[in-house]
Amino acid sequence: MFAQLVASGLVQGSIYAVIALGMTVLFRSTGVVHFGYGAFFMAGAFAVYVFSQVIGLAFVLAFLAAVAVLVLLGMACERMLVRPIAHGPHVAVAMMTVAMSYLLTGVARFFWGQEVLRMPPIIDVPPIFIGSIVLTAQDLLIIGGCMALVVAFFLFFARTKLGKLMQAASQVPRGAALVGINVPGFHMAMWGVVAGIAAVAGTLVAPVTMLYPDMGAHLLIKAFAAMTFGGFGNLGGAVLGGLIIGLAEQLAGFYISTALIDIFAYLVIIVVLIVLPNGILGKKEATRV
Amino acid sequence: MSDISSPSRRAGMWAHASNDIPRVVLVLTIVGVALGPLGLNEYWRFVASMMLIYTLVTLGFNILLGYLGQLAFANVAFFGVGAYAATIAMNGGLNFIPGILVGWIGGGIAGFLVGIPALRIRNYQLAIVTLATGELLRWLYIHGGSITQGSSGLEVPAMKLAGYQITTEIGKYWVFLVFTVLCLTVTRNLLRSSVGRAIVAVRESESVSLGLGMHAAGFRILAFVWSGALVGVAGGMYACLLGRITPESFGLTQLLVHFSMVMVGGLGSFVGSIFGALLLTAIPETLRNFPGLEEIVFSLLLIIVLRFVPEGIGGFLGGRISGLRDRFFGGKS
Repeated sequence: MFAQLVASGLVQGSIYAVIALGMTVLFRSTGVVHFGYGAFFMAGAFAVYVFSQVIGLAFVLAFLAAVAVLVLLGMACERMLVRPIAHGPHVAVAMMTVAMSYLLTGVARFFWGQEVLRMPPIIDVPPIFIGSIVLTAQDLLIIGGCMALVVAFFLFFARTKLGKLMQAASQVPRGAALVGINVPGFHMAMWGVVAGIAAVAGTLVAPVTMLYPDMGAHLLIKAFAAMTFGGFGNLGGAVLGGLIIGLAEQLAGFYISTALIDIFAYLVIIVVLIVLPNGILGKKEATRV
Repeated sequence: MSDISSPSRRAGMWAHASNDIPRVVLVLTIVGVALGPLGLNEYWRFVASMMLIYTLVTLGFNILLGYLGQLAFANVAFFGVGAYAATIAMNGGLNFIPGILVGWIGGGIAGFLVGIPALRIRNYQLAIVTLATGELLRWLYIHGGSITQGSSGLEVPAMKLAGYQITTEIGKYWVFLVFTVLCLTVTRNLLRSSVGRAIVAVRESESVSLGLGMHAAGFRILAFVWSGALVGVAGGMYACLLGRITPESFGLTQLLVHFSMVMVGGLGSFVGSIFGALLLTAIPETLRNFPGLEEIVFSLLLIIVLRFVPEGIGGFLGGRISGLRDRFFGGKS
């Protein structure tokens, strides 16, 4: 049983990890904490559903279309909603992402609020048995897809020139602008990229969780827990935090009480931030006076 | 946006306001607000009570978001704690006034508890903790067993006040009006006093306020406690008005309503908070008949305000009111 719990915990955890990674990338590159990221994930899942089930495209096409739509949505949000107020107080920018979240959720609820939508599995093969562990093909796809995204991001930031440019632009925007980096354009690109990641995650998860408008809000809190646990703004920490929270949630749910699954993430957030505000991998931050 | 409630501007808006506005206008306003709902039907009397409740909610939230400048999203938690505390007290046989006091104290304690971590963590991390607190409390209401009666919620007994049972909408409105005016007056005086200015000073620069010998942590906690207490009173009144409270009432949609009211009213604006609450409560209930429509309308409103009128109604009017006052009541400001 333990092995099975670990396996399903890792499946859950890798979803949290990807969402936490997307938010961390955006936070690191633009300084914005995206409270609407859960809704972007939900929108991605719904977009795939609309393209594949309502319009009837082949799955691969529907997936690509959904990613494209989300990338455009993310870029449009940055250009039209965030950039004009980016120099205002942080409260306003945070509120703007909150408003985006509610708007997307509201639209989804308006059109599909009454029913829980089912998404057929992406590939239809019988479950795989490894010893006593049962894993569906979908589970493996989720783990594989999520880990591929994580690795791609690490390589991008550590190895490519563009990745280095992006890090420079986020650390010292003014300096980056002085040496000719298009900082606003870079911010817009990052909003597009993370929205695309949300769409990929949404596609992977949709067949497992089914579709409902609040699926994003639930995931958002888990992703926040993962980011907090791993140290806010730390890429590796976000991934590790996501996996640990997925695992711990399953174990606590089985060995302590199933009611705990719902609130485990909240408890982690509260305890970690009070006891260990910089997370397990975060560095201690000196307050500048 | 930061200058809207900076001490100098607010002094300009407020310092002489009560001296400058003729007493006639003040008396007429009070009479109008007290007797106006007599001319309304039952539904609009209910909405009028709701407006009073949301006025307190918005003001309480604004103390944290606007005056203290902290991303504390626990307002719905305070609201829920106030409502549940007052209801449980009244179910235990308490009258309305002690019941609402229990809501007040409950909200204050919740504010205190949320305020303690807020001494160490700021900005986004605080937003996340407070968001989690709200959801955690909602989970507690659902899993609270016989105390909170799970998802079906708690029945609220009829309002008992000085030997009378208040069941009519207009009766409730008058009782709520007295409490709202009381809370507004105390809060306005608090915000205009050195305490209020100290809270704004802590927002503007914690290091400067510390350098001036202010007890920044104390003022921070005080802002949280007072915010929680105000919203707790509103929660108690909300329970009495609706007659039943459920965990669903204290979820994320409620939070959106609170956000929108504060932002439409204007961060750090006292009058703005009142206007924001009045305006958005009046948005017809019919929105609720279509799933999702409420979220769409409120979030669009929030986006428009943030994008085009970031200072909200309060800031928008603020500049103009003093101009008007100069014109009509002789030009000192």
